Amino acid sequence: MNDNDLYPDVLVIGAGLAGIEASLMLSKAGRKVHLVENTSYTGGTAIKFEEVFSNMECSTCMVAPKQQELLQDKNINLIMLSEIENIGGSSGNFVVKVKKKARYVDLQNCIGCNACFEPCPVSLKNEFEEGLSERKAIYVPCAGALPNVPMIDTEHCIRFKGKKCTACQEACMFDAIDFNQKDEQIELKVGAIIVATGFNIYDPKQVPQYGYGKIDNVYNAFEFERLYASNGPTEGKILIKNGKTPKSVGIIHCVGRDKKGYCSSVCCMYSLKFNHYLTSKIPEVKISEFYTDFCIPGKSHQKFYEKMKNTGTNLIRADNIEIAKKGQGIVIGYNGGNGKQNSATVDMVILAPAIIPRDNTSDLAKILGINVDDYGFFKEEDKNVSSVVSSKPGVFIVGCSQGPKNIQESVSQATAAVGKILSMS
Amino acid sequence: MDRKIGVYICECGPNISEKVDIDRVIQAVSSLNDVAVVERYKLLCSEDGKKFLVEQIKKHGITHLVVAACSPREHQQTFMEICENAGVNPYLFQLANIREQCAWITDDKDKATKKAIRLTKAAISRIRYHAPLEKKQIESNPDVLVIGGGIAGIEASLQLASPDRQVYLVEKTSSLGGMITNFEKTYPDMRPCSEILKQKMDDVDKNDNIKVFTDSEVAELLGFFGNFQVKIKTKAEEIDAVNFDVGAVVLATGSTLFDPQQISQYGYKKFDNVITSLEFEKMNLSGRITLKNGKNPKSVGIIHCVGRDKKGYCSEVCCMYSIKFVRYLKDKLSDVKVSNFYSDLCVPGKSHQQFYEKTQGKNINFIRAESIEITKKGDQLSIKYQDEKGSKNNQVVDMVILSPALEPSSDSSVLSEFTGISQGDGGFFEEEHEKLGPVTTSTEGVYIAGCSQGPKNIPDTIIQAEAVAGKILSSLIPGKKIEPEVKVSHISESFCIGCKTCLDVCSYGCITFNETKKVSVVNEVICRGCGNCVAACPSGAASLKHFTFNQIYQEVKEAVK
Repeated sequence: MNDNDLYPDVLVIGAGLAGIEASLMLSKAGRKVHLVENTSYTGGTAIKFEEVFSNMECSTCMVAPKQQELLQDKNINLIMLSEIENIGGSSGNFVVKVKKKARYVDLQNCIGCNACFEPCPVSLKNEFEEGLSERKAIYVPCAGALPNVPMIDTEHCIRFKGKKCTACQEACMFDAIDFNQKDEQIELKVGAIIVATGFNIYDPKQVPQYGYGKIDNVYNAFEFERLYASNGPTEGKILIKNGKTPKSVGIIHCVGRDKKGYCSSVCCMYSLKFNHYLTSKIPEVKISEFYTDFCIPGKSHQKFYEKMKNTGTNLIRADNIEIAKKGQGIVIGYNGGNGKQNSATVDMVILAPAIIPRDNTSDLAKILGINVDDYGFFKEEDKNVSSVVSSKPGVFIVGCSQGPKNIQESVSQATAAVGKILSMS
Repeated sequence: MDRKIGVYICECGPNISEKVDIDRVIQAVSSLNDVAVVERYKLLCSEDGKKFLVEQIKKHGITHLVVAACSPREHQQTFMEICENAGVNPYLFQLANIREQCAWITDDKDKATKKAIRLTKAAISRIRYHAPLEKKQIESNPDVLVIGGGIAGIEASLQLASPDRQVYLVEKTSSLGGMITNFEKTYPDMRPCSEILKQKMDDVDKNDNIKVFTDSEVAELLGFFGNFQVKIKTKAEEIDAVNFDVGAVVLATGSTLFDPQQISQYGYKKFDNVITSLEFEKMNLSGRITLKNGKNPKSVGIIHCVGRDKKGYCSEVCCMYSIKFVRYLKDKLSDVKVSNFYSDLCVPGKSHQQFYEKTQGKNINFIRAESIEITKKGDQLSIKYQDEKGSKNNQVVDMVILSPALEPSSDSSVLSEFTGISQGDGGFFEEEHEKLGPVTTSTEGVYIAGCSQGPKNIPDTIIQAEAVAGKILSSLIPGKKIEPEVKVSHISESFCIGCKTCLDVCSYGCITFNETKKVSVVNEVICRGCGNCVAACPSGAASLKHFTFNQIYQEVKEAVK
């Protein structure tokens, strides 16, 4: 960049796979990157998954080398537990204010031995594990989180409620616990911004006939991912509430699709993946998949579908699904396409909910000065020009924050945004 | 040179010291050959620890460094940097993992200590056979060859071309634009394709840094990342060939349609008025939708998923463009009756379902059907099908449009041979990694974009083209040299028996055969050090730097003794 008035640094918001990929590439091109992440860890949603479709690669093994590379990259300034407060200026000359919350654990001194967890007197539900296990007030979200450095949750830590507790500090042999850390405001000067804030899933409670939150053993997709994860609450054992292995499972596609008005593009594929999860751990399990249309676009996905079909899974085209408790089991009532009302009784139900924007998407859009679309995702200016270009020059939108998509498409968009930025100069 | 091995054992606070008797480890390794110093330290990765190591190396004149500490994942790089700072080649370093593999996996201190001793001794045995490795730098050419002048090739060229980077855009037909020049409009916004294309074509025209070759094909492609030599054959000119050098190659050769003649029950080319989606696009673009007899059709059947079963994949765009065809038909012939015969409606993404929902109305039907057969009935066509409830039905129409599967274009196989990249599922170019490397390939410096990589719509094609630009702009920087992998394979000329086994197993196309000497040769610039050739070589001629037979053998021998 010859023009000294333009800032060469880049701000990336969100340290999921898309954000990491963009940051690493920009760094390779010699750019300084500020990567702002609002949690205490990197890797985003992909690290919740044990395996990814369609080649069933271990997700952690796929993401961890990228995370390691990120943490060791001297051109990348990773700012965690942080939010964007304000953005001024325009393309080439953005001034960004970031609010960084104190971690109260020193990133350099901590070696990740976890000795501080045990003595902490506070226990509460672990959000990363979808509430299926407990954590302490000082914690990492799951084993293998990177950076492997805990944070103190000041909302629940009793020291931050006026008590004199120093249990974690006493347990730490490396002087890593620092109660004197303060929240900071950081100012960054960047030329371009990549927004990669990811997605959430639709709350099935909004469609009461699925029984979610009311009936035991009705899980959403994230909860089931954690039940299968070897670093999850059951260390990978698929169990129902009574501690037994389910003998029959119903997987419901398109949960919330009608309400949201779009197909989330990945649910058919990950539901088939769940099929694989189940049969690999419980070979004799009976699985029924209740779908509307099988959406498995692309060159490699139908192959996976056919493999799953051959495992004996019952594929049922269904609508008007209603789920009710029946004794120890769950009964799934449905209309089976031929117009007839049917039902199936299962031990466990997994719901595949629509992909939706993160809660803070519209707030962040306001701060960034970009538009959101009818569905609440960040809006591309013109997707026939480029779907990563937002309504504001210099601000690029990638991954599921722009719309539902799989990992390959998210990475492509991240890489495309880097292309746009590097060709700007 | 005398070998002076320094062995440093990290206590990792209590993490190692409480489970491993470090003094016993020191005792066990102190008297080993070449071991000059053995020390323990409370935390070697701390700032004080790093300083301590640098001082020790200098003070004792350490030539080889062994650290017994944590996982290489954690601190391999940290200690290699310490070596560099202290003037020792970073490959004269070995890490023994006595934390994750000893201290953290048992409460039995005796067992943990014994294993720690084995691992530390193994590291010492190995390091005796380490050789210093040097980073290499090679000159590279920043220019780019883009093959295929469709929307993907155009977009990639526009993103890449700059005063310090020439782009050569090679198109086999007589004009740029590719597949979408046949389309009137794009879904779901029904924008004229000519509008989308015109802007981009004008930009290509105006760009001095893009050289366009139409009516041209690649005749020869040699070399490797940063240094390819290209020969172009041009039909139009009398000149034999054009030669130039580039640093990277982009394959954007697009797709073609599955030939419906392969499935006889669709009646394609047997009956009049059975046409493919592409033929219908062209007819619609001409402004008039007519039957063979010149009249307008009163009823049209659109058949989805033609050839899907044979190809084994869903082509992603057919449902959406079939819905678009309903719009075309209704725009031009408002009374026409249109029926879509589909298997599963595939409308992924945030704005596609809405397009489908808005394309409903009088005389528009969507019928879930299978076992479709088309026969002639007088001047008309009869579509026989089985509906969702299993009953057999039949609809008579004037015109049938078939929506066939997308296939990679016919150039794919020859380009796959030229570049050494493979054709994967469905014959489409295979990406380096399904998730993380969608536009890179097993051959460094060769990139893929658009429908040549797999079926996709226009916006996704543009994204891939821009992604290719991102990859090239971040790795092939004008004036900057390329730093290839250091831990690469080497094939000994005197041991090679010329069996060529290694050529078959190399995934990166970096081994060539020297016909004069009858030996295989590794191109160290593109070798990624995977070790396939080493494992396959029957004569022991291939070896991988930093993972030589002796290095591994000595390490394992000591570990299992």
